[in-house]
Amino acid sequence: MPRWDESLRCEEALALLEPLIDGELSAAEEARLRAHLERCPACAAEWKLAADIRSELRALPELDCPPAVLERVFREAAHSSVVPLARPRRTNDGAGSSRRPFWAALAAAVLVALLAAGLLVQQLSRPRPPSAAEVERATAEARFALAYVGEVSRRAGLDLRDDVLRKHLVLPAARGLSQSLQQSLGPEAQAPAVPGAVPGKGRS
Amino acid sequence: MMRTRALVFLIVFCAIGVGGARAATAEAPQKLEDQPGYVPLAELAIFSRQELTTEIDLEGPLLHLVGEATRNDDPEFSKLIGDLRAIRVQVAPTRGLDAAKVRAKMDETVRWLEAKGWHAIVRVKEKGEETYIYTREVHDQIVGLAVLSLEPGGDAAMVNIVGRLDVAQLGRLGRGLHLPQLDHAPSKDREKHPD
Repeated sequence: MPRWDESLRCEEALALLEPLIDGELSAAEEARLRAHLERCPACAAEWKLAADIRSELRALPELDCPPAVLERVFREAAHSSVVPLARPRRTNDGAGSSRRPFWAALAAAVLVALLAAGLLVQQLSRPRPPSAAEVERATAEARFALAYVGEVSRRAGLDLRDDVLRKHLVLPAARGLSQSLQQSLGPEAQAPAVPGAVPGKGRS
Repeated sequence: MMRTRALVFLIVFCAIGVGGARAATAEAPQKLEDQPGYVPLAELAIFSRQELTTEIDLEGPLLHLVGEATRNDDPEFSKLIGDLRAIRVQVAPTRGLDAAKVRAKMDETVRWLEAKGWHAIVRVKEKGEETYIYTREVHDQIVGLAVLSLEPGGDAAMVNIVGRLDVAQLGRLGRGLHLPQLDHAPSKDREKHPD
């Protein structure tokens, strides 16, 4: 079974069947196509099928739309700013009409992939929320840091109120820090409760 | 023509996707290193990590959680912490340190602070003990506190508190932690409502 002849290939011929039915082909194109159909039974069968469908559709009874409905549609259309869609341009190779959906689908897939990748990266880069123990330890560390500033300023000879500072800020902070360190390091670890002499490293 | 149009569609879609992703990441808060109150402790390298006995490095989200966790028990502390971006402390015992090297590093850090526009509120050098307290201000707003301390026979320490320090809070902090100089810190509020 020949899939092409000297003047027209089967793919091209099949793409031209619909324009032939619609009467959109030039005389020269129609002559080439008909010559191909005479030689190629497969394309001729396609042509016969398309022609049969066309004739059967034309044989269907035409239903008249009620005039009131038509009038209303025309009136609505006149008031709206609807722009009629451009008729798809046909190309000689017949493949152009099927490329738009392909490219649109590809573009949509790329867009979806990009968004998904962006969301994934954002999700992965989001830090793990700290646990209650970490917050408790951080609280002790923050108190310790502020108390340490107080200690340094006291040593610098500024407005000495050592007992108040030590009682209300330094010692509670040091106790909290020591408890947090003990909890996180385990029962075998022992942390002294004096700021500035905390063994090992805190957070890194 | 069809290919060109499809290519244009593809480029537009990609641009929208990339733009959306960038917009999502652009909403992230400013990096800590870019904050004016940030002191690059690692870069200044006053201490090596092996020398440290205490190292505290608390940053934004964790500090906010600390603020939330202490809101009921200690509202003033919670408010103070809630506005901060970072609290960073490095403490090393002077006994194991090369004192000359640490003093040189502290001098270098002080020069760095002054070159970056930090303002000294305390500078004490007495009997081998050195203490420096600096603040960083932007538009009359304190946005950073740096404390350098060297106590012979005790500890050497560097503290950097990054974030907006409200002058009222800082005044309380100053009184509570005995920094009367902080009471004279400039404030927009004070300019607007002079007492």
